Amino acid sequence: MGLHIVKRENCPLWKRCCFYLIAVLVALGIGSVILLAIGVNPVAYYTRMFTLGTIGNKIAYKTYINYLKDFVPLALTSLGLSLAFKMRFWNIGGEGQFIMGALAASAAAILLGNTLPSAAVLLLICVAAMAAAGLYGLLVAALKVKFGTNETLLTLMLNYVAVYLLNFLMGTKAGWNFYLNANELRPVPQKHPDSSLFPTIPMGGKFELNICVILVFVIGLLIYVYLKRTKQGYEINVVGDSIGTARYAGMKTNRIVLRTVFFSACLIGLAAAFKMGTVGTLSTSITADVGWTGIIVAWLAQLNTWVIFAVSALISMLHYGSTVAAATFKQVDSSFANMLQGFILFLVLAADFMIRFRIVRTRKEDRNG
Amino acid sequence: MKKTLALLLALVMMLSLAACGGDPETKDEFKVGAIYINSKSDTAGYTFAHHNGITTAMKSLGMDTDKQLVIVDNVPEDKQAVLDAVDTLVSNGADIIFGISFGYIDALEEASKEYTDVIFSHGTGYKANETNFNNYFGRIYQARYLAGIAAGLKSLETGNNNVGYVAAHTTDYAETASGINGFALGVQAVNPNAKIYVKNLNNWADEINEKAYAEELINSFGCGVISQHCDSAQPQIAAQNGKVFGCGYNSDMTADAPKAHLTAAIWNWNVYYATAIKAAQACEGDASKFVEKMGGNAYYGGLKEGFVDVSPLTENCAKGTKEAIEAVKKLMVDGEWDVFTGVKLNISVDAEGKVSVTKTNAALESNGLQYKDGNFKAPMENTVVVEAGGASVDDGVIKGSMNYLVKGVEEV
Repeated sequence: MGLHIVKRENCPLWKRCCFYLIAVLVALGIGSVILLAIGVNPVAYYTRMFTLGTIGNKIAYKTYINYLKDFVPLALTSLGLSLAFKMRFWNIGGEGQFIMGALAASAAAILLGNTLPSAAVLLLICVAAMAAAGLYGLLVAALKVKFGTNETLLTLMLNYVAVYLLNFLMGTKAGWNFYLNANELRPVPQKHPDSSLFPTIPMGGKFELNICVILVFVIGLLIYVYLKRTKQGYEINVVGDSIGTARYAGMKTNRIVLRTVFFSACLIGLAAAFKMGTVGTLSTSITADVGWTGIIVAWLAQLNTWVIFAVSALISMLHYGSTVAAATFKQVDSSFANMLQGFILFLVLAADFMIRFRIVRTRKEDRNG
Repeated sequence: MKKTLALLLALVMMLSLAACGGDPETKDEFKVGAIYINSKSDTAGYTFAHHNGITTAMKSLGMDTDKQLVIVDNVPEDKQAVLDAVDTLVSNGADIIFGISFGYIDALEEASKEYTDVIFSHGTGYKANETNFNNYFGRIYQARYLAGIAAGLKSLETGNNNVGYVAAHTTDYAETASGINGFALGVQAVNPNAKIYVKNLNNWADEINEKAYAEELINSFGCGVISQHCDSAQPQIAAQNGKVFGCGYNSDMTADAPKAHLTAAIWNWNVYYATAIKAAQACEGDASKFVEKMGGNAYYGGLKEGFVDVSPLTENCAKGTKEAIEAVKKLMVDGEWDVFTGVKLNISVDAEGKVSVTKTNAALESNGLQYKDGNFKAPMENTVVVEAGGASVDDGVIKGSMNYLVKGVEEV
């Protein structure tokens, strides 16, 4: 008798969903044990978490608006990362690219916000952010193509360059530093003019839908079509599967890598533009870690465009919901949310293993036979 | 397997049942909301000091911190993050919201306009309105001056005129500059030959360098007393390891370095929180009366209110320290004298331990350098800040625009 791992052929969708569901439930179960141990009623906690604290909440519309503000940059960043990942280009530089995009968007908003009409400013913010982030990503792709450098290390290290640049700009009060409010005694970020904020659509009641939410779904559709229906999308897949095959087939692989990484980083820059265009003030925590969380989302979604939206929605809910829930339970601090997220991720990955493989009992003679 | 399934099913049912139930918010009691920069379960440091202050104040007012306190913690200085936290607290029925970190300033100002029925109170900030938004901070420089006296007397006792100071920031923040200056003036009032060396961490929390810089001050600059403006007790521990002495900050650091610690400049945040919560309750639901009830929109308490103080003196202190500090403290509590004026105190302790404090008119002078546009060593044309005999600099300077260090202090 022994255990044997066998590749599973064609796991049906319902079974896959079941595995994932069980993984999430087990994670919540572990969370409940911890909650019980610190004297918190898990049911009460999870109820608050999954309803985002909207039950009996007079300003529930605010919760939905805030939740969507978390969701949009995460989904878009994750989409951007998935493009590069599809090609097996390990872009770990989402944070850095997001920061570069945010800096460019903020510069455009502060310097031009009061001189141009709103539509032009918004367009410029997006273009500037995409260009800045795109070039920051392209730099790594170019080095990889030209000198064969390791993109994981380079994108990772460039994150820190961006983080410290942002910290420097946010902490250094000086005449040239337009990112800070010149009228303040201490370093306080400059608020963007109203013309640089994305418009919102009233949806009845006090809820207003930010146009970025619609745009992000449109972009999702475009990316889906790009990947599934265009030659360039096909090329990305081939390069990802086997760069040798791509070369043999006469594809200009260097060009494909450069182009795709640029696109990938551009989308992350656009996520930064959307964030800057809704928040309207830069800060050292502007990324809210989407560059990191985006990687997790992309992998959990197995790089599937639509699943990325679903996973982003869930992760944002987990994150936002835990903060809301933690506010009412004095024993639980916001670190609990991170821990729970960790449990869910690990168990979903375990479920993923169970979907791809199955464990069978084997007898000795069977194995020989 | 069956057991696991059953357990899972039970869990699902529990969750779905709970989702149907819900808990309607009952709002009959006063609720306090707080936004913290670090975790509410911290056991030391800045957030801990505030959390401790809020809970102590609430308990002293007979409030239930389990039910009447809601907190969003680990909130970075990011506008959206702060506004999200405000929304969460308001939706939980908070009547007054305290934000403890400086970078919350613009978000809280905006929130105070949106939620006019909620009171907003911002620690370390300088923005406010005339109705529901105030700021609060304390005259910690007064406590630092007293700690400086302890350090100065120790330097006389040991015969070592070099005093070190590990600072999160220096002249780029009035908060740190006024702290360094208050301490230095206290040292100089006792030991006019003292030299104060300041190391700039350029970071509000950096335990590794807090230790390393203290060691550098001890080993390379020969400092015999180490003071600090940073969260951790690392500089005090370094002082103990280097067999020198030290003055802590924020809370009594004697337990961290029993052989080195003299006294610490400390905050009693509960003093403000109790005052603010009482004022907020007195508004009886009309948040716009808060500033009026507080008697102004910028609370700036000092030794007089008990908001700042020095921790109990240890046995490491030189003879006469207690008497000297008590005498000077009385001057400040009674409002007879303050630190940043054109009047200097000369404090001496004779061989029998008898303390004498005399006032002399003398100009308050800077060391000739100021912070400007990212340059820490921009020249200062007029080094006289206050003429001899002149009145104190404005509170606005101490809180906001002090960008120089006094004579005898050197940033190294």
